[in-house]
Amino acid sequence: MNRRFENRLTIVWLALSAITLGQLALGERAPLTPNAIVTASAVIIALVKVRVIVREFMEVRHAPALLGRATDLWLVATGVSLLGSYFVGRLAWG
Amino acid sequence: MTTVAGAGPRETGTGRQPATGTIPHERPVPGQPDMWIFVLFEAFVFTSYFTVYVIRRTQNADLFLQSQGQLDLRVGIFNTLVLLVSSWCIARCVQAARDGEFAAALNNIYLTMLFGLVFLVSKVLEWTAKIEHGFSFTSDEFFSFYYFLTAIHFLHLLIGFVFLGVAVHQIRTPARRSQELIETCATYWHTIDFLWVLIFALLYVMR
Repeated sequence: MNRRFENRLTIVWLALSAITLGQLALGERAPLTPNAIVTASAVIIALVKVRVIVREFMEVRHAPALLGRATDLWLVATGVSLLGSYFVGRLAWG
Repeated sequence: MTTVAGAGPRETGTGRQPATGTIPHERPVPGQPDMWIFVLFEAFVFTSYFTVYVIRRTQNADLFLQSQGQLDLRVGIFNTLVLLVSSWCIARCVQAARDGEFAAALNNIYLTMLFGLVFLVSKVLEWTAKIEHGFSFTSDEFFSFYYFLTAIHFLHLLIGFVFLGVAVHQIRTPARRSQELIETCATYWHTIDFLWVLIFALLYVMR
Protein backbone atom coordinates (compact mmCIF):
# COMPACT_ATOMS: atom_id res chain seq x y z
CA MET A 1 0.00 0.00 0.00
CA ASN A 2 1.19 3.50 -0.76
CA ARG A 3 3.02 4.49 2.42
CA ARG A 4 2.32 8.21 2.21
CA PHE A 5 -1.41 7.77 1.71
CA GLU A 6 -1.54 5.10 4.43
CA ASN A 7 0.18 7.46 6.87
CA ARG A 8 -2.28 10.22 6.03
CA LEU A 9 -5.24 7.92 6.73
CA THR A 10 -3.70 6.91 10.05
CA ILE A 11 -3.07 10.52 11.09
CA VAL A 12 -6.68 11.40 10.23
CA TRP A 13 -7.97 8.45 12.22
CA LEU A 14 -5.81 9.34 15.24
CA ALA A 15 -6.94 12.97 15.09
CA LEU A 16 -10.62 11.96 14.93
CA SER A 17 -10.13 9.57 17.85
CA ALA A 18 -8.36 12.26 19.90
CA ILE A 19 -11.19 14.73 19.25
CA THR A 20 -13.68 12.05 20.32
CA LEU A 21 -11.82 11.53 23.59
CA GLY A 22 -11.90 15.31 24.01
CA GLN A 23 -15.68 15.07 23.82
CA LEU A 24 -15.53 12.71 26.80
CA ALA A 25 -13.95 15.49 28.85
CA LEU A 26 -16.51 17.98 27.53
CA GLY A 27 -19.46 15.72 28.35
CA GLU A 28 -18.24 14.55 31.76
CA ARG A 29 -17.46 18.04 33.05
CA ALA A 30 -20.68 19.63 31.87
CA PRO A 31 -23.50 19.35 34.43
CA LEU A 32 -26.94 18.24 33.22
CA THR A 33 -28.28 21.77 32.86
CA PRO A 34 -29.02 23.74 29.70
CA ASN A 35 -25.70 25.01 28.42
CA ALA A 36 -25.41 26.84 25.11
CA ILE A 37 -21.61 26.70 25.03
CA VAL A 38 -21.49 22.92 25.52
CA THR A 39 -24.23 22.42 22.93
CA ALA A 40 -22.62 24.70 20.34
CA SER A 41 -19.24 23.04 20.96
CA ALA A 42 -20.73 19.55 20.62
CA VAL A 43 -22.45 20.38 17.34
CA ILE A 44 -19.49 22.25 15.82
CA ILE A 45 -16.99 19.55 16.84
CA ALA A 46 -19.27 16.88 15.36
CA LEU A 47 -19.59 18.81 12.08
CA VAL A 48 -15.81 19.26 11.89
CA LYS A 49 -15.35 15.50 12.41
CA VAL A 50 -17.93 14.75 9.73
CA ARG A 51 -16.19 17.07 7.29
CA VAL A 52 -12.85 15.38 7.95
CA ILE A 53 -14.44 11.95 7.36
CA VAL A 54 -16.03 13.17 4.12
CA ARG A 55 -12.93 14.92 2.80
CA GLU A 56 -10.32 12.37 3.84
CA PHE A 57 -11.85 8.91 4.27
CA MET A 58 -14.45 9.40 1.51
CA GLU A 59 -11.84 11.10 -0.70
CA VAL A 60 -14.01 14.08 -1.55
CA ARG A 61 -10.92 16.31 -1.48
CA HIS A 62 -9.93 14.71 -4.80
CA ALA A 63 -13.46 14.64 -6.23
CA PRO A 64 -15.00 17.19 -8.57
CA ALA A 65 -15.64 20.54 -6.87
CA LEU A 66 -19.39 20.10 -7.25
CA LEU A 67 -19.37 17.15 -4.83
CA GLY A 68 -17.27 19.09 -2.34
CA ARG A 69 -19.67 22.02 -2.53
CA ALA A 70 -22.69 19.74 -2.14
CA THR A 71 -21.31 18.07 0.98
CA ASP A 72 -20.27 21.43 2.44
CA LEU A 73 -23.76 22.78 1.70
CA TRP A 74 -25.26 19.92 3.68
CA LEU A 75 -22.85 20.54 6.57
CA VAL A 76 -23.67 24.25 6.68
CA ALA A 77 -27.41 23.54 6.41
CA THR A 78 -27.16 21.03 9.24
CA GLY A 79 -25.19 23.41 11.44
CA VAL A 80 -27.57 26.31 10.81
CA SER A 81 -30.61 24.09 11.33
CA LEU A 82 -29.39 22.51 14.58
CA LEU A 83 -27.89 25.61 16.20
CA GLY A 84 -30.70 27.84 14.88
CA SER A 85 -33.35 25.51 16.29
CA TYR A 86 -31.53 25.31 19.61
CA PHE A 87 -31.05 29.04 20.12
CA VAL A 88 -34.43 30.09 18.76
CA GLY A 89 -36.04 27.34 20.85
CA ARG A 90 -34.30 28.53 23.99
CA LEU A 91 -35.43 32.09 23.34
CA ALA A 92 -38.98 30.94 22.73
CA TRP A 93 -39.38 28.24 25.37
CA GLY A 94 -36.24 28.39 27.51
CA MET B 1 -3.32 15.65 -15.70
CA THR B 2 -1.85 17.05 -12.51
CA THR B 3 -1.26 14.38 -9.89
CA VAL B 4 -0.48 14.33 -6.23
CA ALA B 5 1.15 11.57 -4.28
CA GLY B 6 -1.16 9.33 -2.38
CA ALA B 7 -2.85 6.56 -4.29
CA GLY B 8 -3.11 4.79 -7.57
CA PRO B 9 -5.79 5.21 -10.17
CA ARG B 10 -8.88 3.14 -9.70
CA GLU B 11 -9.97 0.22 -11.77
CA THR B 12 -13.26 0.35 -13.56
CA GLY B 13 -15.32 -2.49 -14.85
CA THR B 14 -13.33 -5.66 -15.12
CA GLY B 15 -10.28 -3.93 -16.53
CA ARG B 16 -7.42 -3.26 -14.17
CA GLN B 17 -5.09 -0.31 -14.43
CA PRO B 18 -1.56 -0.50 -13.08
CA ALA B 19 -0.88 1.07 -9.71
CA THR B 20 1.34 4.12 -10.02
CA GLY B 21 1.30 5.39 -6.46
CA THR B 22 -0.39 8.62 -7.51
CA ILE B 23 -3.94 9.88 -7.54
CA PRO B 24 -5.21 12.36 -10.09
CA HIS B 25 -5.55 15.77 -8.44
CA GLU B 26 -9.20 15.87 -9.51
CA ARG B 27 -10.73 12.60 -10.60
CA PRO B 28 -14.27 11.36 -11.00
CA VAL B 29 -16.57 10.99 -8.04
CA PRO B 30 -15.31 8.24 -5.67
CA GLY B 31 -17.52 5.23 -6.37
CA GLN B 32 -20.75 5.43 -8.30
CA PRO B 33 -22.44 8.86 -8.57
CA ASP B 34 -25.79 7.24 -7.74
CA MET B 35 -24.48 6.33 -4.29
CA TRP B 36 -23.55 9.97 -3.66
CA ILE B 37 -27.06 11.08 -4.56
CA PHE B 38 -28.36 8.54 -2.07
CA VAL B 39 -25.85 9.65 0.58
CA LEU B 40 -26.82 13.31 0.23
CA PHE B 41 -30.51 12.39 0.32
CA GLU B 42 -29.99 10.34 3.48
CA ALA B 43 -27.91 13.09 5.03
CA PHE B 44 -30.69 15.66 4.55
CA VAL B 45 -33.30 13.20 5.87
CA PHE B 46 -31.24 12.68 9.03
CA THR B 47 -30.77 16.45 9.35
CA SER B 48 -34.56 16.77 9.46
CA TYR B 49 -34.75 14.11 12.20
CA PHE B 50 -32.04 15.89 14.18
CA THR B 51 -33.76 19.27 13.81
CA VAL B 52 -37.08 17.91 15.10
CA TYR B 53 -35.18 16.36 18.03
CA VAL B 54 -33.49 19.68 18.90
CA ILE B 55 -36.76 21.62 18.64
CA ARG B 56 -38.57 19.15 20.92
CA ARG B 57 -35.60 19.19 23.26
CA THR B 58 -35.70 22.96 23.71
CA GLN B 59 -39.43 22.69 24.48
CA ASN B 60 -38.84 20.06 27.18
CA ALA B 61 -35.30 20.85 28.33
CA ASP B 62 -35.61 19.51 31.88
CA LEU B 63 -37.14 16.18 30.84
CA PHE B 64 -34.55 15.63 28.07
CA LEU B 65 -31.65 16.47 30.38
CA GLN B 66 -32.95 14.21 33.14
CA SER B 67 -33.35 11.28 30.75
CA GLN B 68 -30.03 12.00 29.03
CA GLY B 69 -28.46 11.47 32.43
CA GLN B 70 -29.44 7.80 32.18
CA LEU B 71 -27.11 7.31 29.20
CA ASP B 72 -23.48 6.35 29.74
CA LEU B 73 -21.28 8.82 27.88
CA ARG B 74 -18.39 6.33 27.92
CA VAL B 75 -20.48 3.80 25.97
CA GLY B 76 -21.20 6.48 23.37
CA ILE B 77 -17.48 7.33 23.17
CA PHE B 78 -16.61 3.63 22.79
CA ASN B 79 -19.15 3.19 19.99
CA THR B 80 -17.83 6.28 18.20
CA LEU B 81 -14.22 5.07 18.43
CA VAL B 82 -15.23 1.62 17.15
CA LEU B 83 -16.95 3.08 14.08
CA LEU B 84 -14.00 5.40 13.44
CA VAL B 85 -11.67 2.38 13.41
CA SER B 86 -14.01 0.60 11.00
CA SER B 87 -14.01 3.65 8.71
CA TRP B 88 -10.22 3.78 8.81
CA CYS B 89 -10.08 0.08 7.87
CA ILE B 90 -12.46 0.43 4.90
CA ALA B 91 -10.50 3.48 3.69
CA ARG B 92 -7.32 1.34 3.84
CA CYS B 93 -9.18 -1.43 1.98
CA VAL B 94 -10.02 0.96 -0.87
CA GLN B 95 -6.43 2.11 -1.06
CA ALA B 96 -5.04 -1.44 -0.96
CA ALA B 97 -7.42 -2.57 -3.72
CA ARG B 98 -6.43 0.45 -5.78
CA ASP B 99 -2.80 -0.57 -5.44
CA GLY B 100 -3.61 -4.17 -6.44
CA GLU B 101 -2.88 -5.49 -2.94
CA PHE B 102 -6.01 -7.60 -2.68
CA ALA B 103 -4.91 -9.71 0.30
CA ALA B 104 -4.44 -6.53 2.33
CA ALA B 105 -7.75 -5.20 1.03
CA LEU B 106 -9.52 -8.36 2.20
CA ASN B 107 -7.87 -8.20 5.63
CA ASN B 108 -9.00 -4.60 6.03
CA ILE B 109 -12.55 -5.34 4.99
CA TYR B 110 -12.72 -8.24 7.46
CA LEU B 111 -11.51 -5.86 10.18
CA THR B 112 -14.22 -3.42 9.11
CA MET B 113 -16.78 -6.19 9.56
CA LEU B 114 -15.34 -7.11 12.94
CA PHE B 115 -15.59 -3.55 14.28
CA GLY B 116 -19.05 -3.16 12.75
CA LEU B 117 -20.07 -6.29 14.64
CA VAL B 118 -18.57 -4.91 17.87
CA PHE B 119 -20.71 -1.80 17.41
CA LEU B 120 -23.85 -3.87 16.84
CA VAL B 121 -23.25 -5.99 19.96
CA SER B 122 -22.42 -2.92 22.02
CA LYS B 123 -25.62 -1.21 20.89
CA VAL B 124 -27.76 -4.26 21.68
CA LEU B 125 -26.18 -4.51 25.14
CA GLU B 126 -26.83 -0.81 25.73
CA TRP B 127 -30.49 -1.16 24.69
CA THR B 128 -30.88 -4.25 26.88
CA ALA B 129 -29.43 -2.46 29.91
CA LYS B 130 -31.71 0.53 29.39
CA ILE B 131 -34.82 -1.63 29.03
CA GLU B 132 -33.88 -3.62 32.15
CA HIS B 133 -33.69 -0.32 34.03
CA GLY B 134 -37.18 0.58 32.83
CA PHE B 135 -36.29 2.98 30.00
CA SER B 136 -38.18 1.81 26.94
CA PHE B 137 -39.36 3.49 23.72
CA THR B 138 -42.50 4.72 25.49
CA SER B 139 -40.88 5.87 28.74
CA ASP B 140 -40.63 9.50 27.67
CA GLU B 141 -39.96 11.66 24.64
CA PHE B 142 -36.17 11.60 25.02
CA PHE B 143 -36.10 7.82 24.98
CA SER B 144 -38.47 7.75 22.01
CA PHE B 145 -35.93 9.81 20.08
CA TYR B 146 -33.05 7.77 21.50
CA TYR B 147 -34.50 4.46 20.32
CA PHE B 148 -35.70 5.88 17.01
CA LEU B 149 -32.37 7.48 16.04
CA THR B 150 -30.19 4.59 17.24
CA ALA B 151 -32.48 1.96 15.72
CA ILE B 152 -32.65 3.60 12.29
CA HIS B 153 -28.87 3.95 12.40
CA PHE B 154 -28.62 0.28 13.44
CA LEU B 155 -30.72 -0.65 10.40
CA HIS B 156 -28.38 1.30 8.14
CA LEU B 157 -25.45 -0.55 9.69
CA LEU B 158 -27.07 -3.91 8.96
CA ILE B 159 -27.51 -2.84 5.32
CA GLY B 160 -23.84 -1.81 5.42
CA PHE B 161 -22.91 -5.44 5.99
CA VAL B 162 -24.59 -6.29 2.67
CA PHE B 163 -22.36 -3.70 0.98
CA LEU B 164 -19.30 -5.12 2.73
CA GLY B 165 -20.29 -8.57 1.49
CA VAL B 166 -20.50 -7.22 -2.06
CA ALA B 167 -17.04 -5.68 -1.67
CA VAL B 168 -15.62 -8.99 -0.37
CA HIS B 169 -17.13 -10.80 -3.34
CA GLN B 170 -15.63 -8.23 -5.70
CA ILE B 171 -12.17 -8.56 -4.21
CA ARG B 172 -12.22 -12.36 -4.00
CA THR B 173 -13.35 -12.79 -7.61
CA PRO B 174 -10.63 -11.51 -9.98
CA ALA B 175 -12.95 -11.59 -12.99
CA ARG B 176 -15.46 -9.30 -11.25
CA ARG B 177 -13.16 -6.83 -9.55
CA SER B 178 -14.38 -3.27 -9.88
CA GLN B 179 -12.62 -0.53 -7.95
CA GLU B 180 -15.63 1.69 -8.55
CA LEU B 181 -17.93 -0.78 -6.80
CA ILE B 182 -15.51 -1.23 -3.88
CA GLU B 183 -15.42 2.57 -3.47
CA THR B 184 -19.23 2.66 -3.62
CA CYS B 185 -19.47 0.16 -0.76
CA ALA B 186 -16.91 2.14 1.26
CA THR B 187 -18.84 5.38 0.67
CA TYR B 188 -21.94 3.81 2.20
CA TRP B 189 -19.98 2.55 5.22
CA HIS B 190 -18.43 5.98 5.87
CA THR B 191 -21.92 7.48 5.74
CA ILE B 192 -22.95 5.22 8.62
CA ASP B 193 -19.91 6.47 10.51
CA PHE B 194 -20.52 10.20 10.05
CA LEU B 195 -24.24 9.88 10.83
CA TRP B 196 -23.30 8.24 14.13
CA VAL B 197 -20.87 11.10 14.90
CA LEU B 198 -23.85 13.49 14.79
CA ILE B 199 -26.20 11.16 16.68
CA PHE B 200 -23.60 10.77 19.42
CA ALA B 201 -23.17 14.55 19.80
CA LEU B 202 -26.92 15.15 20.01
CA LEU B 203 -27.90 12.28 22.32
CA TYR B 204 -24.89 12.08 24.64
CA VAL B 205 -23.07 15.43 24.72
CA MET B 206 -25.36 18.40 24.02
CA ARG B 207 -27.04 20.18 26.95
